[in-house]
Amino acid sequence: MSEKKHSILSQLQNNATLSKSSLLLRGLEILERYYTLGLDQPLIRFELRRLEEEAVHYAKILKRIRRREEAISDLVQELRDVEEIMEKYGADKNALIQILLDIQTRNHWLPKPHLMWVAERLGVPLARIYQIASFYKAFSLTPKGRHNIRVCLGTACYVRQGQKILEAIERTLCIKAGETTSNGKFSLESVNCIGCCALGPVMEIDGQYYGELSATKAVKVLSNYS
Amino acid sequence: MNKIKSPSELEKLRKEILGKKDPKKPSIVICGGTGCNALGAQQVVTVFKEAIKKQDLEGKIDIKETGCLGFCEKGPRVIIYPEEIYYFQVQSSDVSEIMSKTIIEKGLVERLLYTDLVTVEKAKNISDISFYKHQVRTLLQNNAKIDPKRIEDYIATGGYSALAKVLYKMTPEQVLEEVKKANLRGRGGGGFPTGRKWETTRNASGEPKYVIVNCDEGDPGAFMNRSLMEGNPHSVLEGLTIGAYAIGSHEGFVYVRQEYPLAVENTRIAIKQAEKHGLLGKDILGSGFDFTVKIHRGAGAFVSGESSALMTAIEGKVGEPKPKYIHTAEKGIWDKPSNLNNVETWANVPLIISKGADWFRSTGTEGSKGTKIFSLVGKVNNTGLVEVPMGITFRDMIYKIGGGIRFGKKFKAVQIGGPSGGFIPENLLDTRIDFDELRKIGGMMGSGGIIVMDEDTCIVDVARYYIDFLSQESCGKCVPCREGLRQMLNILNNICAGKGKDGDVELLEELSEFVMDASLCALGGTAPNPVLTSIRYFRDEYNAHIKENYCPAGVCRELITYYIQPEKCQACGICVRECPTEAIYGGKNIIHVIDQKKCIRCNTCLDVCPERFSAVEKIPRKSLPLSVPPDTKVVRKR
Repeated sequence: MSEKKHSILSQLQNNATLSKSSLLLRGLEILERYYTLGLDQPLIRFELRRLEEEAVHYAKILKRIRRREEAISDLVQELRDVEEIMEKYGADKNALIQILLDIQTRNHWLPKPHLMWVAERLGVPLARIYQIASFYKAFSLTPKGRHNIRVCLGTACYVRQGQKILEAIERTLCIKAGETTSNGKFSLESVNCIGCCALGPVMEIDGQYYGELSATKAVKVLSNYS
Repeated sequence: MNKIKSPSELEKLRKEILGKKDPKKPSIVICGGTGCNALGAQQVVTVFKEAIKKQDLEGKIDIKETGCLGFCEKGPRVIIYPEEIYYFQVQSSDVSEIMSKTIIEKGLVERLLYTDLVTVEKAKNISDISFYKHQVRTLLQNNAKIDPKRIEDYIATGGYSALAKVLYKMTPEQVLEEVKKANLRGRGGGGFPTGRKWETTRNASGEPKYVIVNCDEGDPGAFMNRSLMEGNPHSVLEGLTIGAYAIGSHEGFVYVRQEYPLAVENTRIAIKQAEKHGLLGKDILGSGFDFTVKIHRGAGAFVSGESSALMTAIEGKVGEPKPKYIHTAEKGIWDKPSNLNNVETWANVPLIISKGADWFRSTGTEGSKGTKIFSLVGKVNNTGLVEVPMGITFRDMIYKIGGGIRFGKKFKAVQIGGPSGGFIPENLLDTRIDFDELRKIGGMMGSGGIIVMDEDTCIVDVARYYIDFLSQESCGKCVPCREGLRQMLNILNNICAGKGKDGDVELLEELSEFVMDASLCALGGTAPNPVLTSIRYFRDEYNAHIKENYCPAGVCRELITYYIQPEKCQACGICVRECPTEAIYGGKNIIHVIDQKKCIRCNTCLDVCPERFSAVEKIPRKSLPLSVPPDTKVVRKR
């Protein structure tokens, strides 16, 4: 066994000093050995098993072909990023929405293992996180494509035929608003006002704004993205 | 940078900054707001910087990126100082011409100047531009002079002197009296007297007290708060600090929607710079007053812009409104007294303090004092942000400032107040824009979004659009809003699809009354306004849809269709190719015919038919002529 794994094991055996979340993270890292330790922590074992399954499922969603161990270490890396985000806000329950916004910006969606981790660390029920994630439009509980197309359907853009732009893109990509193309290239959504009303109709892709569009111009813009 | 510890140190710093500026030094000012960025402003900045470097003029010419000046349609905008030449629609390819003609030869690039729509004259000064001529840009004028990422610019224009006056020369009660005397009313939509709200919060029991800036701006079509927060965040922060002093609060929040990333970023930078200079944080200006501000990003929910919902969102919970019998001024965030005001309301405060309540009262009407920023958008020629004194008529706004209806079409209606507001027909165009006047005619000022509609807009369709929007944004807590709006949407969808029945309009009115009276918050409470005003002033459109299955504006999909006129079609084949459902039959020299069963009425054939033919027309479904026999040959005109 490597030096690193040895030290982690001994830490786990003296686990009085570790918080539950640190325990989980370290346990994940040496998962295959954890069950043989015979540690008297049935709840931790249950959580670890759950997280392990989530890691494999997560790799499948991202279409990454991984062995079990690789899937787990990928997830552990991402969970460390989530830890960083939470530390930025002092792991404060009241900053839950801000934390979720940062995770959404980084991953372009809210993967389930990350949400489970946030629930664990902040001491907030997972159901509450789902309540927030499903209420606010900024959050997505399904993976987004590489390029996120946001067509504005605010009143000013609507009155300037914004609906027709959305429909032209829906026809071209064969998806409806709120969906992602099967090759994972584009996600399409409609938004209710980006604040560029004088340039309507407006569309935004990856932070780049396109104004004064017609249906044909909008479809042409899509061909610039690979 | 040392912290500023007294008003005299602030003055000294201001004089230092002004002393370093040379009013005769040429400078190029480019708008860096979201609107101009969408049209390529960042590239213009880069190309200018490269050109200055290449011609060895670094240090001799300043280049500055400022906030939004409001005339987004004609962006990117470039101003050359000291001559104050305004160029519009500048692209990176124009930079070299501007450099050689204007910077070096001190001439003008005529084609980039603003062309008046009526006189077709070029405008040399900003006062010649009809869009700006009739405005009183009290709040927005500084956007052209300030780089929002540099606090020095704000200090140079006199910023933070109001705060210095308040902290050293006025008691909190005096500040309160001044704001009450000015009769500043909330600019977020409610129009509630600001001074009275501050007083309630101040007198409420409980510590700590909170002050909040509402930059959620959920109303589609409104972008005033974006422009202020992006372009001049310090004015809002100064107003917030003054308010905090008057109320006795030491902690503030700025709630910015995450759809405005530039506003979030500029506010963050502004807070950091203000803290570094001792204008925010502990012991502000050496007066002993502490005040910290945190930014809270919204996450995309319209209802969270409502004041009690916003406070719930700041607590980290789902942003749903709370019952109104408990005022948030007494029990707000975490059940503590909280005072919430709109961005524009806060931005007015430093001006009221420096120039006095009497100055503020000198503009506006009896009930509504001061200026208001409106976003004039839709089918007008000059769209953008307009700041005018309260009391201007709609007619002046649309025709004098807006330059009239686009493409010479006929005016139909103007909608003010977003999804909470109402339609104003032509015969009421001389109504003065004022909180109370608008209530009388069934509308509401709202946040100030003004959407102009012409003969090609279907009023029933727009009413349906608003109810659709609101039913999606409804939080779902109370039955009248959740179920009532859904049923109203059902009825309106049927009317637009030609399935309206007699009695539908009466049913809509009955439902509206119920939704308005029994909803928990203002979303439901004001949702029926567009529907009720559209029924009141445009009853004939409803009748046409229901009784005659006819959409006068030619918008409602099920009631219109497309027809290729046989005598104009020249069988060029373009529409056959472009039609997404392959609904057009025809070949070379054979007249093209649309198969009505396959047509989805997407408008593509009308868009692509060459202008010299203009063979495709949009007609009411019921007027569809008998079809041309297949394989009919084209009659070619010589």
